Amino acid sequence: MITNLGKNRKFRRELADYRENLYRIAYSWCHNPALSDDLVQETLAKALKNSGQLRDPKTLRAWLYRILSNCWRDHFRRSRDTVDIDDVVLIEKDTPDLCHDRQLVIHRVRRAIERLPMGQRQTISLVDLEGCSYIEVAEILDVPIGTVMSRLSRARKALKARLLEDEIRPDYDNIHHIGTVK
Amino acid sequence: MSRNDISDETLNAFIDGELDADGKSEVFEALGNDRELSQQACELRRLSELVRHAYEKPPAIEQYRLPTARRMSRWTQGLAASLLVGLGTLLGWAMHQPAKAPTGPAALHAMYWDEHNAFQNTDMSKIDAQRGIKHIIVHLNTSSPQKFDEALTTAETLLKKYGDDGAEIEVVANASAIRMLRAGYSPYADRVRQLQQRYINLTFLACKDAIDHVREIEGNNSQVKLLPDVEVTPSALEHILTRLSEGWVYLNV
Repeated sequence: MITNLGKNRKFRRELADYRENLYRIAYSWCHNPALSDDLVQETLAKALKNSGQLRDPKTLRAWLYRILSNCWRDHFRRSRDTVDIDDVVLIEKDTPDLCHDRQLVIHRVRRAIERLPMGQRQTISLVDLEGCSYIEVAEILDVPIGTVMSRLSRARKALKARLLEDEIRPDYDNIHHIGTVK
Repeated sequence: MSRNDISDETLNAFIDGELDADGKSEVFEALGNDRELSQQACELRRLSELVRHAYEKPPAIEQYRLPTARRMSRWTQGLAASLLVGLGTLLGWAMHQPAKAPTGPAALHAMYWDEHNAFQNTDMSKIDAQRGIKHIIVHLNTSSPQKFDEALTTAETLLKKYGDDGAEIEVVANASAIRMLRAGYSPYADRVRQLQQRYINLTFLACKDAIDHVREIEGNNSQVKLLPDVEVTPSALEHILTRLSEGWVYLNV
């Protein structure tokens, strides 16, 4: 029993270590801090509840992101006909000082990521932000590895067109989108 | 694709440290002989850095709450049950859908799940007014070039109209429609490529079950090579179900 308590405590600590990373990935998918927080809470709650399902502790990271991905999918299901996910995505309250150079770059990259199809957005964030291997991403998103490679290639091609080939033009279209949020 | 036959996917894998020693050597050699490729590699690295930089400090949340279990469990259970019921219904429906003769996108047969996960039939013009057009899945299950042409035209029309508003379209092929996404067989290879390049929000998917079936018919040594950037889904029908559950509109061409 004491061993179990010790294991449980260790598991909770390991989960807590992932909290920040999970939040970062969730935010890169939905670009909404409150929703990201909810998704992380839900992911951790499910991980605690189903800790017995994790056979190999080495696969904890992939297992956690898979739960996060499922929570995100569930969110879509729950929110249809109530909240338009694209409206949620476009409410960007964290970059008030858009004139500041650094903020401008960050804002432009986030806007470019937002405009990617969800599968590509998830793939590029898991590879670039979390440093997942292609095999891990394939497991997390439940897609073949060829799809991971193709999504990544297309996502970077699109980001290149939006960010590198058009670097000087300011992001004026942001004003229009914020204006259209209900 | 560069002059050195290093594909975009391979170059990305190189940047991400996913290649084995032989693969790396091949790319290193190509980089030494091809300035354009070398520049592409630099740009990919830079993009990767930009993405990391953009999310280094996501907006802070006020405070972390303690995890609470069972927040969504009833919802999830209910949903799972509904999905199973829906699966049966859609399988029957998709397999026995009679051929239609659409005259344009507005006349196409469209379907979606309502809030009770019940199928609602409509057409595109009504969908436009009722639900707005955001996420659409176009399904093909025959190798008719005419139907594939219609599917492409429909997808392009919708993307022209709604692409800037965040619309996302997936064209999913199963059964004999696989031929239309098969390299060396599809008469629409160039058009598919053009559409992929023009619209980032357009994705083509081929059903793995159907690919396996083709392999089975043609013999074990048969290679089923798809057009570039066509994704593979383990099962087209399961994929369609998932999309319906996420609120996508389904179009049968």
